Parts: sequence; structure tokens; C-alpha cells
Amino acid sequence: MLLLQLLVNGIVTGCALGVVAISFSLVYSTTRIFHVAHAGVYTLGGYLAWTFVTHGVPDPLALVLAMLACTLLGAFIQAQLYARLERRGATHLIVLIASLGALAVIQNIIAAVYTPNILQFPSAWAARVVSLGGLRLTFAQLVTLGISLAAFAGVLLFAKFTPLGKRIRAVASNPFLAEITRLEPRTVYIYVIAIASAVVCLPGVLVPFDLGLQPYGGVTPLLTATIAMIAGGVGSIGGAFMLSVLIVVLQNLSLMVMPGQWSIGITFFIFVIFMLFRPRGLFATG
Amino acid sequence: MQRHHQFWLAATAAVSLLSLPAMHAAEADTIRLGAIIPLTGPGAVVGNQEMRGIQFAIDQANAKGGVQGNKVEVQYEDNQAKPDQSVLSFNKLVDLQNIQMIFTGYSGPSLAMAPLATRKKVLMVNAGAQSDKLRTASPYLVNTLPSTGDEVAVMVRYLMDKAKKTAAVLYENDAAGIGGRDDFLEQYQKAGGKILEQEPTQFGQTDYRPALLKLAGAKPDVLYVVITAGMVSLVDQLHQMNAPWLVAGSTFAADPQAIADPSSTGFIHTQVQIEAPPALMDAFHKKYDADMDFFARQYYNAAEIVLTVLDKVLSEKKPATGENLRTALFQIKTFQGLIPMTFNSNTATVPIAINEMRDGKDVTLTTATAQ
Repeated sequence: MLLLQLLVNGIVTGCALGVVAISFSLVYSTTRIFHVAHAGVYTLGGYLAWTFVTHGVPDPLALVLAMLACTLLGAFIQAQLYARLERRGATHLIVLIASLGALAVIQNIIAAVYTPNILQFPSAWAARVVSLGGLRLTFAQLVTLGISLAAFAGVLLFAKFTPLGKRIRAVASNPFLAEITRLEPRTVYIYVIAIASAVVCLPGVLVPFDLGLQPYGGVTPLLTATIAMIAGGVGSIGGAFMLSVLIVVLQNLSLMVMPGQWSIGITFFIFVIFMLFRPRGLFATG
Repeated sequence: MQRHHQFWLAATAAVSLLSLPAMHAAEADTIRLGAIIPLTGPGAVVGNQEMRGIQFAIDQANAKGGVQGNKVEVQYEDNQAKPDQSVLSFNKLVDLQNIQMIFTGYSGPSLAMAPLATRKKVLMVNAGAQSDKLRTASPYLVNTLPSTGDEVAVMVRYLMDKAKKTAAVLYENDAAGIGGRDDFLEQYQKAGGKILEQEPTQFGQTDYRPALLKLAGAKPDVLYVVITAGMVSLVDQLHQMNAPWLVAGSTFAADPQAIADPSSTGFIHTQVQIEAPPALMDAFHKKYDADMDFFARQYYNAAEIVLTVLDKVLSEKKPATGENLRTALFQIKTFQGLIPMTFNSNTATVPIAINEMRDGKDVTLTTATAQ
């Protein structure tokens, strides 16, 4: 039962991380921008929702409002930062540094406004426990699991079947061809980062319902999500999601045989070895 | 160039010598003390409360005419809780302004300044840091707060009395967490207890589920927790597990939000009980528009001790040097401030309570001392 509980906890956390990974993958595979500020959007989403909730807004509405705000922030970052840099011929390294700068600004504004202390949502439902056989899960975990799986399915369907999804895939596949066929890649980039920001806001809000909010709490999930995206194969939404779940489950289960301080290191060591043999990732296409 | 350099050296020496008698003399109008605490940075919340606690006591003393007719003034230096900055501040206060008594806090900065205090015979009073190393860091460093080892000693005795003979430890993988863990491992095993499992967490981590599940697998009587942040999440996750063990911790565990959460019912922790009379609390609140929290009370109490010691030294017509202040402190030995305190060593012996979190409140079960 201990093993099963560890496994299920790992799947829940892994699914939330998977949503971070697919949103980051969407941005990176389309724009080729290593959008580190995505961690800031993830964190800000949680804090905005917390602000709404503490001002009496119902939790679901707070989530929707936070997603809208994150959508606007994502579009703003692309239109006013990355696009400007691109017009001035900035290299990928310059854009990365600008993104890091944006992340630092967002995190420090959050820390200044909300203090660096851990904040908790005042929502009693989140900590209620549900027993399923011998398994014990909180409502926050169950909601996170359900919404994360729905978000994964939604992003997959969006990318495959909607006109905008197809346009994004076309731009990701060949930006030059997309330019001359009037698919307007620059506009698509704004859409992509806006959509990814809305998507990443989901775990950004749901995870803090369970584990609380911290201003600098977005970096570790983004780092793990990035590794999952690379190991899963850049451009593969399914690969990024599945590898996220696998990484977290491995980290959880490794505790059975080693102390916790080794689990992250050992897990990533396994992936380094894996990447040596399959550098394009597990589900890479083409 | 050489001549220019010599001029400045001579000028600095002259200024220092001229200021020396004013600092030493018992008949001086103003006695200057120092405080090296964090006033900016992550430690500023605590540091500012420490400053208010000191200043509140000093203002009260000055309003009553000072100490033996002398006004007392405290010069505050912001060390941002950094050891290197603390050393610079120490040298500035002691070498340039000949200050002979300094309030300090935070283990790292206090330990960094301790050798200087020994060499220059400057009395340092720490009322906020708890590292075990502070006990023996310097004969001139006195601590008005028990060390983590003292708190652990009281807790271990309580656990043994309750026949909790097996334990697991969840600790933060940093200096504070490892120090607390080591104290617990040593004293618990020495008292006849058995450690079944231990698991680290990272500072700021709030997902304890994997570690808790692993520790639960060992089926201990008690889970000893040494984390300095994230208590609310820990309470929720322990409630989710419904584990049958007793959860115990130190002052670190006394997070007001965790106490207010009814899920924490049954958790026990050690706590230094320093209370202020309502009138004092009200006056503090009126002055600073803030509650007189634990650290403000601690430093108010420390300032009262220093003022008592200063009074003794000046009444004996002695200069207020660090050496004289230290000697007087150990001669007085027992202080009845906000909390009764005895200095049998550099670290005061104070009552430590075992509190139980119960339905949103912190209830004292018993009180003991480490020694």
C-alpha cells in the first residue's frame, strides 16, 4: 500500500508538472525561445488567484480570472519583449537573458508585494481527504489530477484539430515557409505564448491549493518540465507530458531505496545516460 | 603619498584616542551601546522587531532619567544577517566608536563576531539565535535564549516519560535542520530511544508526502520534525496520512498558522515562554503600531538585563567596559525580567515549556529546564 500511495502521489504531481511541460513545449517548439519567464507566469497565476480568493471571489472564478491575467501577461512579454528584441536582431542568448530578467522582475515584485513567506489558500475544501480503498488523497490532489489530464487532452485536440492549432504547427514546422504563405508567424508567436501562459496558470493555481505559494517556487517545476520536454522529444506534447509523470514517479519511488537528497540527482543522472543514447528524445519525430 | 598616508593614520588615531575617555567614563552623559542585526534583507522582519524591543526598553529607561543619571543610546548597524557584514560593523562600532556592549542575533553573524569579542573584550548579548555552537563561541558572548540542544533535552525527557521509545526524524537539509537533527539523534539515543529512520527535506519544500510515507513505513512511536518553514503544508499532509505516531518539534514548529489549523491537534513542541504584561504590550503597540512579538519581547528582556548590569557597574563607579559588564552580569546571575533567567554559564537557563496544539490553540502541558 505504501508503494501504491507513493505511485499515485507521483502521478498526481507528475500530471501537474506535465501541464507545465506541454505549455513550455508549445512555446519552445514554435518560437524557439527558451521562455524562462514562463516560471514567473506560473507563479504569478497562483498569487493572483490567491488575491481574488482572499477578496471573496469563488475559487473557480478566481482560477479563470488568473488565467485571463496570465494570458495577457504572456502576450505582453512576447509583443513587448521578445518581438522587439527579434526586430533588433538579438541572438538566442540575448533573448534568454531578457527572459531571465523578466523572471527576476516578476519574482521580486511578487516577493515585495506578498512577502517571501509561504502563503496558503484559505479554502477548506482543498485539504479534505478522500479514502479510496487504502489510498488517501486530498480534494486538491484529485482536482489537480482531473484538470491536468483534461488540459493535456485539450492541448492535444487543440493542436491537431483547430485551425489555430494547425497554423501553430505549420509555423513551428517551418517559420520561413509560414512567412511567405502569410501565416504571420509573429502574430502566431503572440497567440502561442498567450495560450501557453493560460495553460501554465492551471497548475500554477491548483498546486498551491495543495502545497502553498512561494515567490521563487516556479523555477524548480520549470527546470524539471524542461528536462521532461527534451527527454520526451522537443515538439512532442505527449512525450513531454508522459516524461514529466515518469520523472516524478521515479523520484518518489526512489525514496524506497535511497535518502531523499539523492533522489533528484540520481533521477537526472539516469536521464543524462538516457540522452546519451537517444539525444533527440523518446518521442522525437522526423 | 607615504606622508599623506601617515597623516590619515595619525588623524584616525587622534580621533580614536580623543573619543576613548567619553566612552569609558562612568561620569559620561551618554552611554553608547551597539546592536548588529538585520534591518534589510530576508531577516529584516525579525531584525526590526529586535530593534523595536531594544529601543522600547532603552526609551523607557531614559524617560526615567537613564542609568545612574546617564542617558543610554544604541547605535544600530544593519548586517543583513550576513557574517562578513557583521564583522565590518563590529570593527566599526568597537574600533572607531569604542562601544563596549553589542546586541546580536542570528547564529552565523554571532559566531563570526565571537572571536573578535573575545580578543577585544566586548560583551555581546544574543537573544535570538539558538545554534549549539553559540554556547562556547566566546566567554564574552552570552545567550538569553536556550540553544536547540537545550530544547531537545527537555523534549527527549518528556518523550521518555511517555514511553515513546522509537522515533523517526524529518529534518531540513541545512544548518538549522541538521543541527536540530544531530541534537535529537544524540540525546534520544543516549536516553535509550531508538532512531528507526530519518529523511531530509529542502528549505522551502512543501511536498513532504514521499518523505512522510517512507518514515511511516518504519512505524515509529514519534516523528520528530526539524523544519523552519512549511509547517502548514506538513500539518495538512500528516492529517491526510492519518499516521498513528506522535508528532514532536521545537520552537520552529510553533507556526501560528499551523497552530490555528485544527488538523494539528495533538502535535507537541518545545517553546520558550516569554510573556509580557498586557500594559507593556499595549504601550508597545501604541508606539510602533505592531504587536510585541516573540523577538521584540526577547530583545526587550535582553535590553533590561543589560541596563541592570550597567546600573551595577556605574553604581560601583567602574568604567562600563566589556570586561566589567561581563563580570557584573555573572555576579548578578539571576534576572527577573519578562522570564526568570539564571546565568550558570554563557547560556541562560530558562523555563522551556512542552506545548500541545489543540483545536487551534497552543496549550502548555508542562514546563522544565534543560539543566
